[in-house]
Amino acid sequence: MDGILIQGGRVVDPHNGIDAEADVLLLDDKVAAVARMTEADVRNNHRGLERLQILNARGLVVAPGLIDLRVHVGEPGRDAEETIASAAQTALHGGFTTIAVMPDTDPPLDNVAGALFVQRQGERAGFAQVLPVCALTRSRAGEELCEIGQLVEAGAVAFSDEQRPADAPGAILRGMSYVSMFDKPVIEVAQDPGLAGGAMNAGYEAALAGVPGIASVAEELMVARACMFARETGCHYHAALLTTRNAVRAVKRARKLGVRVTGETCAHYLALTDAEVRKAYDTNLKVFPPLRTADDIAWLKRGLAEGVIDCISSGHRGVAPQDKELEFGAAPFGAVGLETTLGVALTHLVGTGTLSLSQALAKLTINPARVLRLHTRKGSLTPGSDADVALIDPGHTWTVAPDSLFSLRKNSPLLGARLTGRARAVIARGRLHATTQGL
Amino acid sequence: MSPDDTEQAPPRWTRKDLLGLEELTREEILHLLDTARGFSEISTRSIKKAPALRGKVVLNLFFEPSTRTKSSFSLAAQRLSADLVDIIKEASSATKGESLVDTGKNLQAMGVDIVIVRHQQAGAPHLLARALDASVINAGDGTHEHPTQGLLDIFTMREKFGDLAGKKIALVGDITHSRVARSNIWGLRKLGVEVGVIGPRTLVPGAFKELGVNIHYHMDEVLGHYDVFNILRIQLERQRRGMFPSVREYHHLYGIDQKRLAKMKPGVLIMHPGPINRGVEISHEVADGENSVILQQVSNGLAVRMAALVLTQSAREARP
Repeated sequence: MDGILIQGGRVVDPHNGIDAEADVLLLDDKVAAVARMTEADVRNNHRGLERLQILNARGLVVAPGLIDLRVHVGEPGRDAEETIASAAQTALHGGFTTIAVMPDTDPPLDNVAGALFVQRQGERAGFAQVLPVCALTRSRAGEELCEIGQLVEAGAVAFSDEQRPADAPGAILRGMSYVSMFDKPVIEVAQDPGLAGGAMNAGYEAALAGVPGIASVAEELMVARACMFARETGCHYHAALLTTRNAVRAVKRARKLGVRVTGETCAHYLALTDAEVRKAYDTNLKVFPPLRTADDIAWLKRGLAEGVIDCISSGHRGVAPQDKELEFGAAPFGAVGLETTLGVALTHLVGTGTLSLSQALAKLTINPARVLRLHTRKGSLTPGSDADVALIDPGHTWTVAPDSLFSLRKNSPLLGARLTGRARAVIARGRLHATTQGL
Repeated sequence: MSPDDTEQAPPRWTRKDLLGLEELTREEILHLLDTARGFSEISTRSIKKAPALRGKVVLNLFFEPSTRTKSSFSLAAQRLSADLVDIIKEASSATKGESLVDTGKNLQAMGVDIVIVRHQQAGAPHLLARALDASVINAGDGTHEHPTQGLLDIFTMREKFGDLAGKKIALVGDITHSRVARSNIWGLRKLGVEVGVIGPRTLVPGAFKELGVNIHYHMDEVLGHYDVFNILRIQLERQRRGMFPSVREYHHLYGIDQKRLAKMKPGVLIMHPGPINRGVEISHEVADGENSVILQQVSNGLAVRMAALVLTQSAREARP
């Protein structure tokens, strides 16, 4: 038996209501205890221990390993952009020990072989654990349902078609009804395809930039409708990519009525507005849904504080530089975010007093674990859980720059931004990995 | 001698590129217009040549069809004795063909000094300007800006009115999709001029109110208020996309004809950046009538573009 004893850190485990100085003992790939203990205590209590590694975490926050429920990989299909292994390794540098990858690959993750492939590639790489979100309908076309039952058995943690080329209300309703048998969430990307043909947020900035806009009503409409479908079917609807004031309000209303809906936003929607987009037509700021306004950010923060938004994800999508070095309208959407999500949460939510550290970490640990039904083994430091731990330096201020990012692709909308807070090391299922910051 | 006299006055134009009027100061706009006034005289000479850009290479890089703007830039460059290359291209997509930046870099490697770019994507000239050492002049980027058109419109108004203080200028038509409207609005607002936009609600961004622009949906209510009506071309494709019901209805509500002209101020200027749809946004009689300065706009375009070429090039050469 091998052990890791993390000593002297500030343990923040939102699920168990712990925020105190304590030591964390990991034995093999499980959490063994959270308490005050010395090396001698550990050796006395665990006679079979062959190797014990001591980590001094003084000055660091010791949290459950972060869980990212929105990562886009290019594998299979576009593995020059990002492979499962490269994303899983980048995740560790951002403090994430578990990532859910989206099904918008080529071919899409709409069959058992695809679901197994993703997990096997993740295991082979040996970094963060990689779990597949599978398509709701075959080819994500919004017509025939995927083999949901068999996909669940093969490890699918959620179902989503991502953005479809055309609206398919019938398929979503049927899909939610079918998925509800298996107690898995349906993740809908909420932008009406008929209204979301532009390249940046519709409004003042787009009007001046001369760039076709994506109206915020395109999001509200689809979120409100999916909430109705969830009400009708009893299915758990996970509202991903909430970016607008009125979509947040739609989720809040549905929750009040008892609909099973959870909410999520990506970190960059909390830090940047469409005004930044117009400044230089920087294609690193071209994301879908688009960056919105300061008013929307205020409502996202309110939604986070009130618990309407349960999770913060990275929405990570690597894009090759030659594809981003194009005209704004021609460049693809997408931003890397695995390494900046924690920093944005700590800087823009904890640093501003919107959330306590424990509340912010809940949205990166236990809440996404609950959404993906992983909470009995991930997202907390409860003894017996997977030995997934993030060691976070909460006071480390850094500038986001291509050189400061480990990721294969550097298309971060936050290049040049100053963030406070960064992971120093993670332990993923009992294995210690130092980040670019080092321990 | 005061200490000020010993110091050299800072250069009044330091930009290697002309990308839009939004980023220019009032002083820069006035300096460019004053420079243009000097050049407008060349067109009246029998030998229409000046040596300012001798040995320089000007490239017209047009990704959209254009007759007027491209010939105007070509003539401006030729009158300044520059060598001229024309490239007309289909815009490449993300997946095929050479990227805009690569095209620009290749042409720069052949010694191009000034790139005049027209592109259907807003921000394309900005992308090029960041990537190239050559000067970049925006000849229209999507629905964003068309700075030399805005400048020549203002030049023409100043030619007729002198100082524009207290004047009121209206832009009529499809404001949403007009780069000419945006450049006019930025330029005129910086000069402190009252600006109004007139058109159907589906083609007028309400957000422009935040720039201090008056917004009118009913033209007949404001015919007597403005000193200039700058009429934009209505594209029939917008009707097919449901932006307005029909050409007939558009003409009925926003077409400038003799009856509407009669209700305007006596010395009102009728402008149009061209090409004109006679009988749609402007009647045949008004287009050729005595209030129309449409052809003066075209002549002034040459002088303004000569000024833009010379100023950006001097600024580029003055850089350390």
